Order: sequence, then structure tokens, then C-alpha cells
Amino acid sequence: MVVKRKRKERIDRGIKARSDDIFALTSFREMLYVAVPPVLPVLLLLVLPLVLPLYWKKVLISAAVFALLAMSWDFIAAVGMVSLGQALFFGMGAYTTGVLDHYAGLPIWLSIPLATVIGGFLSAILLLPVIRLRGVYFSMVTLVLPLMIERIIEATALFGGTEGITGIQSFPNQWVEVYLVLVVLLLCLFGFRRLMTSDYGLVLKAVSDNDRAVMSAGINIYWSKAQALFIAGSVGSFCGAYLTHVYMFVGMPAFALDYSILPLASAVVGGMGTFAGSVMGAMILVPLSEALRGVGGLRTVIYAISLVVFIVALPEGIFHYIQRKYHQFERWVEVEG
Amino acid sequence: MLEVTNLLVFYENAVALNDFSMKVDAGRLVAVIGSNSAGKTTFMNTVSGLIVHTRTKEIRKGGERITLYGQVTFNGEDITALQPNERVEKGLVLCRERHPIFPESDLVENLKIAGYLRKRSEVRETIDYVFHLFPTLERLKTRKAGFLSGGEQQMVAIGMTLMVKPLLLLLDEPLLGLSPIMQKTLVDAVVKMREEAGLTIVITEQFARPILPIIDFGYIIENGMLTMQGTGAELMDSPEVKAAYFGV
Repeated sequence: MVVKRKRKERIDRGIKARSDDIFALTSFREMLYVAVPPVLPVLLLLVLPLVLPLYWKKVLISAAVFALLAMSWDFIAAVGMVSLGQALFFGMGAYTTGVLDHYAGLPIWLSIPLATVIGGFLSAILLLPVIRLRGVYFSMVTLVLPLMIERIIEATALFGGTEGITGIQSFPNQWVEVYLVLVVLLLCLFGFRRLMTSDYGLVLKAVSDNDRAVMSAGINIYWSKAQALFIAGSVGSFCGAYLTHVYMFVGMPAFALDYSILPLASAVVGGMGTFAGSVMGAMILVPLSEALRGVGGLRTVIYAISLVVFIVALPEGIFHYIQRKYHQFERWVEVEG
Repeated sequence: MLEVTNLLVFYENAVALNDFSMKVDAGRLVAVIGSNSAGKTTFMNTVSGLIVHTRTKEIRKGGERITLYGQVTFNGEDITALQPNERVEKGLVLCRERHPIFPESDLVENLKIAGYLRKRSEVRETIDYVFHLFPTLERLKTRKAGFLSGGEQQMVAIGMTLMVKPLLLLLDEPLLGLSPIMQKTLVDAVVKMREEAGLTIVITEQFARPILPIIDFGYIIENGMLTMQGTGAELMDSPEVKAAYFGV
């Protein structure tokens, strides 16, 4: 008797093949198949502020900020620099906008863009000496830098010291406040995704895959890495500048460890290397952490356990998993041997 | 000693080994010969169990699905599902291709690490035997393994497998990237190992010329399928093999 041997086959859906290669969309079904994944989050993010109560609107803002930080983490991680210090970028932007606002008296629409660029620049300059380090050594330096700057501010009473700078202007109204960060979030999301598929992004990705091969192609990898640091630093600095104006306060907490660890967790839970995963992760983790406030003392424990469950059960990340299920299906086929 | 029956390996939807069967009796020197992408390394990974490990890893991260059918028996025992380390304990040892060694440790340390399963006295003995087999290694004793040349690293890699005192030794492309003179040294060493230590050896190689004269039996695979088998002399005389592997 011959035993029937089977294996599970994983293949692309027909609709994916049709809408991918031929790109002559012939039915509404195919158009929807292509359009829904990018349009759905856009619609969701733009409609949510209209329906959410004030408290959850604030949570959405915080989630969006962490999503931006997670994308900035994801971006430099794709260039092979695993950072444990997004707080550096965040704090740089926060203090830059605080100084521009308090000492120079710049209006809000000038201080945020300026802080974005200057903060990104300062972050890149600060990390320039360690750009040659790789792996855990780079991570250690990035972890220590924000903590060090925090202590410097405390010791020298620079920019208000432990008191911080208060009385920074706020946004004209809450709609500007919410939609500014959401629009920037969407721009970064689609911008980063486009950037990584361009020639420039390919070079950056190649640096992390095999930096020696990139050097052999005549490309200065340190210059590429510095540019990547500037871009990621700018995104992080925008978050800092933005939240400073929301809270109307900047102080030492801008360099807190939260801004380093939560973005990393979001990117890992959501799925690395896709940016959409980072957004998804932040949109799950931040509201989860808020919802757990009701639990009281065990909040962190439950939060940590759910993180562990996510990472053990779905090490590839939520986004990769959903993407696979969307584009491919599985079936049992008989083994022909 | 080793028997592989109807081995079938899929990487996702691509078939890497198709219904491959072979047999190795104790004390024999057997070669599996094929060009690139024929499935030689897949065969070695399946026999040594590395593929079992890769499969669980890929399942966990949702990557490539590896499908495995068929049976691997070693000394009459079914080892198809065993992990690589359990197979090594049974005496089935693989020397992977591209001579992976510990670059930061020196040569003797490398050998000692490989002798983890053996007693100290045995380790000392086998180190002496490795130096007897590859005299060039003797004066490089304290050199960091990462600074050795490709051929020397290959010798160390083979020496490391000997440290385990295997019953069956699997050599995956031992001649890869070596000069003809180095290839000759290694082939001589393989013959010597077999005669002196009584090892059973399976070699995979795409460069058949130096291997065919020394083997007892050979299997030729193409695209994962067995196309020909025979003793070394038979294979050397076959016109297909001559055309494909000797370029005559």
C-alpha cells in the first residue's frame, strides 16, 4: 500500500499575481485589493480624532508620537545601527524648540520645523564619533548618551536645570494639534516606505547587509550612515518639539528611558523593516498601556507579559503575519516523488 | 551503517532532494557528486540533522517552510527526527562546507572545543593524531584560527570533526576553493584517515576528478535526483561522467 504523503503549499493568491505584475486592473475587486491596505489606515487615522473623546484623543497623540519614534528606530535599524536611545533624538528636538521659544521668542510654526532640522543635525553630530561602531557597542553608546545629557542638565542647571522651561506656547486649537501629528505620521510612513525602495534606500539597506561589499562599490558607508542618522534624528526631534508644545513644558524627562524603549518594543511587536509594522505596534501598545491604568499596581506586569507573548508567538511581527495572510494562501497538496 | 531511503526535501515550493536513496556500509568511502544546486548540501544537512533545526527555526519566524519525507537510519536506528547534537553523540559527524572554525581561538583551542564530548586523555591523543595527519598544522599550534589560510582552515575543520571520534564522517565539499596541491594533500589525508582510523566516510563534491579514484562507491545527483551510481572505476569509465565532470 502506498502511503499518501502531503505537504502544505504556500502560494500567492491569484488576485495578487494579477494586480502585481500586469497592473491592468480590470475589476473593482482587484482595485480594492490594491487600494485597501494603504487607504484603510489613512482613513482610520483621519476619522479617529472626530469620534474619540478628549482623553483618548490625547492617547492617540501619544501613540502617534511613539509610532514616529518607532519608525525612526526602524529606519536606522535597517541601516544596521540598532539604537537604544531614541530619547536622544526626542530630547534634542524638545530642548531645541524650548530654547527657540523661550529665549528667541520664535512663533510655533517656525520653532517646530527649525527644531526638527537642528535637532536632527545635533543628534547626528553627537553620534558621529561612534558611527564606526557596530552592533551592541553602538547600542550601548546610544543608550548612555541621553542619560548622560540628562545628568549634565541637572548638574549645570542649563536651560532651567531640574525645573525645565515652562510657559511654552501651545497650539492654537486641539484640531491643529491632533491633525499635525497625524499628517506627519502618514507622510513619514509612506515617505519612508517609498524611500527604502528607491536607489538611495537600497544603498542604506545594503550597508546593514554587507557593509564591505558596499565599500567595494565605491560608496562611503559612513557618509550614508550619517545621512541616515540625520533623517532618523529629524523625525525623533520633530516628536520632541511637537510634544513640548503640547505639554507647554520641556525638562529632563525629555531624555527619559521611555522614549528609547517603547519605540523599540513597538517596532519589534509590529514587525521590523516595514514602518507600517512600527505604526501598528505603537497603535496597539500605547492604548494597551493606557487601558491597563485601571488595573493599578499590576499594570506593568500585565504589559510586560503581553509583550513577551507577542514576541514569542509572533517573532516576525504582526504586520509581516497579516501581510503574508493577505497575499498568500496555503493548501495541502500531495507530494509527487 | 547509514541508510537513506526515499529522501524528499522541499524548501517552500522548490524541491531540493527528490526521492533520493543511498546506503553506506561500515568502513567504506562513498561520494555524492553533483554540480551546484544539485542538493548535495541539503543531503548533508538532512543526514546530520541540521535541517531539523533549521526547520523549527523557520517555523517560529514564519519563514520558509521545509518539508521532509523519507527515512535516515544509522546503525539500524531511525534517526530522522533527532537533533544534530544527538546525532553527533551517536557518532555521526559533519564537516560543513567553507571550513567554519572559531576565528578568535587558536588552533589547539579549536580542536579542544570540538573534543567537548571526549575525555581529556582522548583529546590529547586525538590532537596528536591530527598533527600526524596534517604535519603542517604542528607549527601553527598557537596561531589564531582566523589568520590561517583557507587550506589550513579546512585542515583544522576536518581535525575538529576527528576530535569527536566519529563512526561516520560526513565531508561537505572539502576541496572547495583550494589549490590543486592542497586538494591532493586533503585527498591523501582522507585515504589515510580511512585506513588508519577505520572511519566510514561520505564526501560530497562537485569537482569529481581527485575524488573518483579513491572512492568505493559513488552516487551522482542532478537537481535532487539520483542519475547514476556505481563504483569509482565504473563512474570514471562512464562517458556521461567524463563529459560532465572531466570536460573530456
